[in-house]
Amino acid sequence: MSATEPGEITVLLREWGSGKTESTEHLFELVYPQLRNIAGALFRGERPENLLQPTCVVNELFLKLVRQRSLRFEDREHFYSLSARIMRRVLVDHARSERRQKRDGGLSVPLHEGMAWIDAKHAELIDLDQVLGELEELDQRKCRMIELRFFMGFTVAETAELLNISTASVDRDLSFVRGWLYDRLHTG
Amino acid sequence: MREDADIWDQLQALFHLAEATPENERDRVLAENCSDPELLRRVQAIYHGAHVEMEEGPIQPWNGFVLSNKIGPYSILRHLGTGGLGSVYLVERMVGGIVQRSALKVLAPHAAGAAFVERFHREQHILASLEHPNITRLLDAGLGEDGQPYLVMEFVNGVHLNNYCDEKHLPISERLELFLQVCDAVAYAHRNLVVHLDLKPSNILVTPNGIVKLLDFGTSKLIKLDSLLTTTISATPAYASPEQLRNDAVTTSCDIYSLGAVLFELLSGRRPNQNASLAILIERAMNEQEPESLQQAVTEVAATNRGLTENRLCTVLSGDLANVVAKCLRPRAKDRYASVDALAGDIQRYRDGRTVMARPQTRLYRVGKFVRRNRKVVAAGVLMNGVILASLSYGAWRQQQAIREGQRALRMQTFMYRLFKLANSNYTGKPAPTIPEFLKLGVKMLPDYIKNPGDLREAQLGLAESMYENGELDDAQKVFTATIASAKASGDISAEAESEAFSGNIAFLQGQMESGKALTAHALELSRRREVSPAVRVWSEIYYAWNREDNGFRDDKNVQLLRSAVQEARDHNLSPHETADALYNLGSDLELRGSLDEAEQVFRQALQVYGEDPSVLCEQSEVFGDLAYISDMRGNIPASLPLYQSAYDGYKQCSGPDSRGTLTEEEYLAGALIKLGRAREAYPMMVASMPKWRKMLGSSPDLAEPLNFMALADVETGHFMEGEKAAQEMVEVQTGKVEASDRRFGASHLLWARALAGQGRYREALPHAELADTLLNRGAVSAGAKKAGSDAHSELLEIQSKLASR
Repeated sequence: MSATEPGEITVLLREWGSGKTESTEHLFELVYPQLRNIAGALFRGERPENLLQPTCVVNELFLKLVRQRSLRFEDREHFYSLSARIMRRVLVDHARSERRQKRDGGLSVPLHEGMAWIDAKHAELIDLDQVLGELEELDQRKCRMIELRFFMGFTVAETAELLNISTASVDRDLSFVRGWLYDRLHTG
Repeated sequence: MREDADIWDQLQALFHLAEATPENERDRVLAENCSDPELLRRVQAIYHGAHVEMEEGPIQPWNGFVLSNKIGPYSILRHLGTGGLGSVYLVERMVGGIVQRSALKVLAPHAAGAAFVERFHREQHILASLEHPNITRLLDAGLGEDGQPYLVMEFVNGVHLNNYCDEKHLPISERLELFLQVCDAVAYAHRNLVVHLDLKPSNILVTPNGIVKLLDFGTSKLIKLDSLLTTTISATPAYASPEQLRNDAVTTSCDIYSLGAVLFELLSGRRPNQNASLAILIERAMNEQEPESLQQAVTEVAATNRGLTENRLCTVLSGDLANVVAKCLRPRAKDRYASVDALAGDIQRYRDGRTVMARPQTRLYRVGKFVRRNRKVVAAGVLMNGVILASLSYGAWRQQQAIREGQRALRMQTFMYRLFKLANSNYTGKPAPTIPEFLKLGVKMLPDYIKNPGDLREAQLGLAESMYENGELDDAQKVFTATIASAKASGDISAEAESEAFSGNIAFLQGQMESGKALTAHALELSRRREVSPAVRVWSEIYYAWNREDNGFRDDKNVQLLRSAVQEARDHNLSPHETADALYNLGSDLELRGSLDEAEQVFRQALQVYGEDPSVLCEQSEVFGDLAYISDMRGNIPASLPLYQSAYDGYKQCSGPDSRGTLTEEEYLAGALIKLGRAREAYPMMVASMPKWRKMLGSSPDLAEPLNFMALADVETGHFMEGEKAAQEMVEVQTGKVEASDRRFGASHLLWARALAGQGRYREALPHAELADTLLNRGAVSAGAKKAGSDAHSELLEIQSKLASR
């Protein structure tokens, strides 16, 4: 990350926010390897147990990205949505490699207490990721909501504020999506 | 089966209908509204999925439950509890024929890594040396047969601090008593160079005898993180200092922050940043957000747990206690208490009914003083058209120089005279158009004219002090650094002291606390020697004492020093200017400490001494501004008006119409006019000054202050649309930087409401008025605050009645 120009990330974020996919790839490239290492360390258990919650990885990402001082918080929603998206990819890739190497960690790590039936270290996460891909096709806003809430660990109130809707809307939508996800993951 | 895409909206609609319907009617209602069996089945499946957690239960994270009854050499007696890092057991072991009982904490497997035990043994001598009645000792560490790392601690029969206090409904005074025990322990640890880094209520136990016991000291150090994982954040980031959240350097100040968070909760019933996720906490740390207000956190339950009514608790927590807590929770470490002892000292002062050192940011809207302190007379001013205002200031300068050695003074005079002439002629091809350039020119020319090192030093000092007076701090600092070196080389104690005093003061102004402290302290020490002139001694005392006071190193000795500086200036018949400056600094300190009556007296003395000397106009104006503010704060607006006027006029003349000092006095003048019903005069003043403020401040939250006056002027003169914009901007510029429940938002929303109401847009005004009413009436204690609250309430009532009559 030290080779990154300050401001480059901001520019890329803005482009990502306006749908330019090429910059997304570049941005992922910048941030992703770091996060993968961190996630790996996390899941090897090199941290006190309760910090294995994936949402605590947000700190690493946040610090690394926000250290580019020119990051303005008008880009907040972009930034956090992107962080959540990256987090998801990191965790899923890690779960894939765990499965490949047939590692039996023994340790269960719930993704989030709000979705405590998903074990983040398990193959379930990979399936979840796939289903989230379907959700994004159906309803992009709800997909973002799930990512913000469960991959970044925002509270309902904070999620509502970021998406500029009411907390009641968030509660309702999350309720529905959780049900839908469960249904998709347990059928077929 | 139809694609979900086609039925997406229907699925949701039916789902929400199901959620809204009582259980016994659900199936019926769904069937009524949905004729497609496939769709119905999907909805039911989704509904089931949404509520399934209740049935199956979440995956249990590992909780460190041990199955055998021995770990290492310890026999397990019973399970005590499960904490953040693992489970704790009561264990016993035979040591030299005696049975020893202790508490053993099993950590998550691989939580500490293989190096864990090694680290323990390394740290052990430090951790074991912590012997204090309020600290549980760390006894041992090891790895069980299965490789489980464990820690062994002194067993404590106790309850978590908050539970203990709430169960007994302990009043504030007794909670503070317990807190002082905590401070005692932490202060002791700091003296032994151990930082806790994870202070929180669950780490503080209280025994049935009311003795506090701190847990997990040094654990943070042991469970050290590898290079990949760079944070030191523990399980509950809510109590972590901003620098820990930002992953900056950790110091003892982190513990002070955490102590502040614990105190916050102990007093108000909830912790700061209660409902914030980790990401938001980090964001707030990044933004250096100011601390929450203590009294806003109060709830009825909390009040009951403290044996008080909600209102009473609000009142208790709105005075000095609020300041003490706030001073622990400042986003920047340098703004907090410098040590745990200082914090404990203030709490003790509070309990004794004495004045605490922690001051509120009283000048919520009055930004820190930007005018320099204790100036010497400037050598000369050169205006844009090249004319030198030499005569007046030169004369005064000559008077100054009479204090020094006669010979040297004479030489200096000659030099300065020549300098003036040169600056006015075309020595460099054009006259120096500004004072800073003129001074720089002087410094450059000096060696050509003055060969004797002593004289050169004197000249440099004179010019550097002039640069300083003009606010050219960096340039001045460069010259002072040179004069310090030169003075040391020549053994010129007086010049060394003088240079260090000024240099130290500049260091403070530039935020370099350590350097400032060192320089001013050394200057003070040197100034006690005989060969140093009284003037230099007075400056040394003032710079040393004032900077300590202003930067959090409060001490009654400092006030003494400032008083003795005044006395000394009088005894030695120093110039009126120097005496008045000494008085001014004393007055400022008294004001800072809240002794308003004495401050006012001292300020008036300063004014008297300044007299009619036009070269001290800036200083005088500052005093007028202070006096005006004191009157204002007391509610005596008619008295404040002429004072603000004098301050403003004076500033404008001495530092120009666009300087921050001038603009600040102007907005306060406008404010006073508005309060006296003369908004029509205030309005053009604010309109003219707003662009200057914007140029100076950009989008800093400080812009809220002038916006406040602008919006007020708008609303009072019927410019409601402009007022609406200004109020809106006020909110925007503070959002994210200031706690959402802060009274300033209340003021902003009230103005917004008034502006909307003025346009007849009552419906839109209502939510703003409601918000203002809530924010401004909560915990309003002072007369000013109560008035603001009742104004907000009146506005709300009026808007409501307007809406009702439609």
